[in-house]
Formats: sequence, structure tokens, C-alpha cells
Amino acid sequence: MATVVEQQQEAVTAGRGPTAGSALGAERALLRFLEPHFAGEGFPWTQLWGYVGSLVLTFAAFGLVIHHLLTPTALLGLVLVLAAGQASLQLGVFMHLRESRGPAWQVLPLGLSFAIGVGMIVASLWIMAFKWGVS
Amino acid sequence: MTPMPHFAVYLIHTLFPPDVRRPTEIGADVMMGVVAIWIFVHMTRHHRWGWLWHEWFTTVDHKKIGVMYLVAALIMLFRGGIDALMMRTNLALPLHPVISAEEYNEVFTTHGVIMIFFMAMPFIFALFNAVIPLMIGARDVAFPRLNAVSFWLFAFGAALFNVAFVVGGSPNAGWTAYPPLTELAYNPGPGLNYYLMALIISGIGTTITGLNFLVTVLRLRAPGMTLMRMPMFVWSALNTSALILFAFPPLTVALLMTLLDRTAGTHFFTMGGGGMPMMYVNLFWLFGHPEVYIVVLPAFGVFSEVFATFSRKRLFGYDSMVLSMTAIMVLAYGTWVHHFFTMGAGPAVNAFFGVSTMLIAIPTGVKIFNWIFTMWGGRVRFTVAMLYAMAFIPTFILGGATGILLATVPADYQLHNSYFLVAHFHTMLIGGTVFGLLAGMYYWWPKMFGYSLRESQGKLAFWLFASGFWVTFGPQYLLGFSGMTRRMDTYPLGLGWHSLNVVSTVGAFIMGAAFLILVYNVLWSMRHGVRDQTGDPWNGRTLEWSLPSPVPEYNFACLPTVGERDAWWGVKEAFRRETGADEDAAPTPQVRAEDIRGLHLPRNTAYPFFLGASFFVFGFGVVFTWWIIAAIGFAGIACTLVYAWFDHDEHLPMPADEVRHHEATLGRLLA
Repeated sequence: MATVVEQQQEAVTAGRGPTAGSALGAERALLRFLEPHFAGEGFPWTQLWGYVGSLVLTFAAFGLVIHHLLTPTALLGLVLVLAAGQASLQLGVFMHLRESRGPAWQVLPLGLSFAIGVGMIVASLWIMAFKWGVS
Repeated sequence: MTPMPHFAVYLIHTLFPPDVRRPTEIGADVMMGVVAIWIFVHMTRHHRWGWLWHEWFTTVDHKKIGVMYLVAALIMLFRGGIDALMMRTNLALPLHPVISAEEYNEVFTTHGVIMIFFMAMPFIFALFNAVIPLMIGARDVAFPRLNAVSFWLFAFGAALFNVAFVVGGSPNAGWTAYPPLTELAYNPGPGLNYYLMALIISGIGTTITGLNFLVTVLRLRAPGMTLMRMPMFVWSALNTSALILFAFPPLTVALLMTLLDRTAGTHFFTMGGGGMPMMYVNLFWLFGHPEVYIVVLPAFGVFSEVFATFSRKRLFGYDSMVLSMTAIMVLAYGTWVHHFFTMGAGPAVNAFFGVSTMLIAIPTGVKIFNWIFTMWGGRVRFTVAMLYAMAFIPTFILGGATGILLATVPADYQLHNSYFLVAHFHTMLIGGTVFGLLAGMYYWWPKMFGYSLRESQGKLAFWLFASGFWVTFGPQYLLGFSGMTRRMDTYPLGLGWHSLNVVSTVGAFIMGAAFLILVYNVLWSMRHGVRDQTGDPWNGRTLEWSLPSPVPEYNFACLPTVGERDAWWGVKEAFRRETGADEDAAPTPQVRAEDIRGLHLPRNTAYPFFLGASFFVFGFGVVFTWWIIAAIGFAGIACTLVYAWFDHDEHLPMPADEVRHHEATLGRLLA
């Protein structure tokens, strides 16, 4: 699937094009920042264990809720901890977070994602707590 | 599954219950049958099946996928429009309703779902696919095969949804499908399952499209095209994709939980089982409000291109446009609760979301002023695309102002779910989204198909559509003030509603006539439309107009190097300065033969089609809870994915000589 990316990258690094100009050097430096470097290709053990781990985390949370093992507050806390573990697992194993050259590029979208995610969860809890406010 | 009394009888009663045997349904069945037979005969007689399969169904070319999205969107616009006319007819004749209350419920549900998910969304993706790679100087999207997967998931999701009214019965709980109306106890039958499965399947496709265009815009821009040199339509695609990526998962989750409530006996949203119905509403609007911006931001992008091109000026306030569009993207996530102020979450929650909603008016107002200032002092050409863009401004201002009224919490308690709301969101969705999409269609049609749509016919359609729009929705604001609520199938006389409803219905039929003229416009232009010889019929500003129309399979023989915003306009200005040519003259871009290198195109593949078909079978099985059929569909999905996993034969090499030859036939090769 990477063919188009490769061609584009090639064109950037080779400076091809009808009017390859002098501004290209700066552009090239800017775009090199975006070039990924992929981890070596062996059997994807990390991904396999990541998949198993994500399933374990999911079923652990499900089991805790189904079997009423904890008090509601402890349950909510533990489920949130499991969710944080799940999120870091997805980001680390499947979202190529460790494969980029510079961290700066990822800070903005990650921050936005974090803000939106927290907004959705915390605001939903806040909104849905209306039951206690009303009754 | 109930025990089968007799297999055939059971099958007939399940597949064809009484509510799919009403005269309107049978009429539609007959019409669809006739059209299907006509298509079959036509295709067979002209030996076109192979062509359809090899050129279209297995394609991974973004331009062709764009065309398929466009065709699907126009067909769905037709069906959604028929639904609207059925509703309007009923409301004009309160004493002699033409459809029953049950059927009315189904019709307003399918109208909403089809117009949002199966008309607006594919229309947007049609424009994205048609021009985004061309605008950024790329040979395709980042993941061409995933792009085809997205299309086929959408297409088969839409097909599943449209099968409902022929087989099994339509969904009837509104496009929002709130519980407890969606609980199995209150809404048995397959109708709602159709809604859930169709939206889950097409929603997966939509999420993938968002991802695809996000990566495409961030990674595949031509050398020199920095973010702040991108055309505004590309910015709108970037922001829309980011919205899709975050907005669709909550919808998918909410639908899946409803499906589990209906098929697996869970109690996420049930009233009696300890579930929380309002949590569904919360999750739905976590998606639903960003969705509003998903459908309107691309229209903003289209208008930015159209205003600049037809005013012969660069876009006014580009930086503030980018900033305000990004601000809208972020703020869009912070307003969803205004859809259920009347839940009674308390003053703190409601005040917060009332204010956050009003905040969005600021960046939107900035954009409105920028569009007006783009026209200011420009040389304005009144093409069809420009007419739609200009009609959008007053419409959107009115829609925005009524939106602020609705965001005022005490006022919302009065206006909630009244015809005032109906009029408001139709003003935004038609005056914003549909005007924008039609403007984009007229603007980019020559680029997509190689010929222009006839302007005079298009203008007639525009004037009917725009005036019909006001005749339809103007009275609905007044109806809202006089207390008429949403989703009523009829009403008693003597409330002062009848004459306004009649006016509104007349307007709806004017819009219907406009659609017919638009279709005639397309059909006429297919035969007699003016060929686009130069590739730049509008004296455009962005890179797609530097290419011939229709665009060759590889888009750019050499990837362009971008030195400024409005890159193609810059090339033309330089040419005009150097040659002293006429101020509207344009060069035919030439490439040197030695600059052309061999390239790899993505190879066609059938697996996206089969993946979509497998999802359809799986979805159909789940709809009727026939688990054997669902298992067959699931096996199909698994097999297709495993096949795709091991299919590494993805590239189709195209030698440099072939490219050179093609460019030479286009007259674009320097000897």
C-alpha cells in the first residue's frame, strides 16, 4: 500500500518535477521530519502479544462489572486504570508511537485526542450524574 | 428464533409482513423491478458487464471511486426526496392523509437516515475523491485499496438499508433512534436491526475514509506544498477527516450496544432492566454534533474555492479561514449536549453547553465575512456554482441566527422538537451542505467527466431549488412558533396550521421539480455538453486545473513543485507576465520527456467488493437473527481479509514510455 507514499517520497528526496527550485532544500528538510522509520520486520510477536493483552484487559473489565466484585467507586477506579492501560497498549503497540523520529509532530494530535477523549468521558459522567442532582 | 410452523409460510411472513405490502411499497417494488430489468437488458445487449466489473467494480482509482460515490449520492438524493414529498403531501391534506401514521414514521426515519448518511456523506466523499489528490499534487490517496473498501462498505451498507422497505419492514424510530422506542419489546421486527446494521457497516467505511484522507493530506502533498499553501478545500478535508476519526466511534459503539440490547438480551439502554436510555442520547450526539460539521466543513471548502475562482481574486483572509475552520473542528466536540437540554441536566451543564454552542458562531462569522470580502472588488462571474455559493450566504446567516436562538436554553425549552427546529436544521443542511455540494458538483464536473454541465439549465434548476427552499422552510419557522411539533403525521384543522403547511408543500414540490431539471441537465450534457479542451474551463487557481480533463490515470506525469498558494494561478500569472499575453490566457503545461519516469499504479482488485458483499450477507443474517446466514457472511469477511493479507501483488508498473506516449497524445510533451 505504500507505493504512492514511496513515489512521493522519492520525488521529494530526488527533487524531481518540472520546476525543481531552490526552495526545495528547505522543503526537503521539513518533510524528512515526517519520514517514518519502521521497526525491523520479523515475526510480529509484539503485535500478537499486544492483541492478546488487549483482549485480556477488555475481558477483565467486563468480568469485574458482570460479577459485582467491588464497590462502585473501587470498580469505577479500577476500570479507568484498565482503560488507561488499554489506551497505552494500543498507542504503543499498534499506533506506531515508538517509530517516529521526532516527538514534536505527535504532540499536537495526541494532545487533541487526549483532550477530546477526556472531554467525552468526563463530560458524559458529569452530564449523566444529573440523576442525583434532580432527585 | 421461533419454531417454524411451515418453512415457506414462515419465510413469507418474516420477509414480507403486511407493512411491506402497502400500495406505496408495491408501487416502488414494481418501479424498481422495471428499472432493474431495463438495466439488465441494456447491459447485456451492449456487453457491458465486463466493462462494469473491470473498469468500475474492481477499481482502486480515486477518480473512479469518486464518480461511483457521486452516482450513489444522486440516487439516494432521489429516494430521500421522494420520502420528503410523501411527508409533505400528507401534511398538506390533514383530512385525507395519503399514508398511515405507521408508514409516516417509517418515511421520516428513512428520509433522515438516507439524507445524512447515504446522500450527504457519499456526496462529500465523491468530491474528496475526485479532487483532493489532484489539489495536493499526488498520484492517488495514501491507501488506494482501503479507499475501495470504504466505498464498498458504504455501498453495501446503503443497499442493506434500502432493502428494508421491500423485505422485512422499514425502521421507524427516527434517524436518531432513541430508546425506549428501539427496545425489542416496543419495536419488534427487523426494521430497527436494518438501521443498526446498515449504519454500523457504512460507518466502518466512513471511519476508514477519514483515516485515509487524513494520511493523504498529511503525507502526500507535492514538494513545496506546506500546510499553509494548501487550498481551503484540502484544509476542509483535513478537518473533516479529523472529525470523522473521533466522531464515528461513539456512534458505532452506541449502535452496537443497542443491537446487543435487541439481540443478545443486554440492558445498556433498557428502561426496565436498569439501563440508561439517556446514555444512548449522549453517545449519539457525541457523534451527532460533530457530524453536523462533518457535512458542512466540506461545503465551506467548496465555497472558498468557488468564491475565489469566480471573483478572480485570491481568497480573502486565508490565515483566518484556516484558523476559524480549525477552531470549528475543535469546538464541534464541545457542544453536543445542546441536543438534549430538555433532559434537565441542571443549569450548570446547560449553561456551559449553551455558551459553547454560541461560541461557534464567531469563527463561522469570520468565514462569512471573508467570503464576502473575497467577492469585494473582484470580477464576479455568475456561474451556477457561484450562484449556489452566493445563495448560501443569506441562507446560512438566517440558519445560524436561528441556531443561536435554539442555543439559548430557556428558548430551547419552547422550541425543542418543534417545526422551528426542523426549519433550522434544514436551513443549515440544505442552505449549507446541499448548496455547497451542488456548487462543488457543477464546479468540478468538467474535471471529473471532461465536459461541462450546461449553464442555462443549471441556472433554471438553481433558481427553482433556491426559491423552492425558501417557500418550503420559511413557513416552517412560523409553524414552529405556533406550536406544531416535529414528526406529526397529521393535525386537526382550526389550529391555523393548514395554509402554512400547504405553502410549505408547494415549496417542496418546486424543489422536486428542480431536482428533475438537474437530472435532465446531467443527461443532456452527457450528450451535448461542451468538451473541456484545456482542462481549465473556469480559469481556476489550484493544481487540479493544470491537468487535462478527464485526468489521466496517473494524474501527474511529473509531480509538481509548489512555490506559492494558488499554485496554478501563480504559473499562469508568470506566463502572462513573460509573454505579455491576454490576462485570461493560460499555458498548456508541458513536461520534458526526460523528466518522466516509470511509475507504479495501484492494481485493481476485487476483494473490496467481496468484503462489502460479505458484510451485506452478515448484516442480513443479523437483521433477521438468522445466525447461520450471519455465520456464512462472517466466514466470507474472514476469508476476504485473509486473502487480502497475503495478496502482495498490489502494484501495476507503468513504463515511462507509456506515460510519455499518453502525454504526447494530450499535447503536453516537450519534444
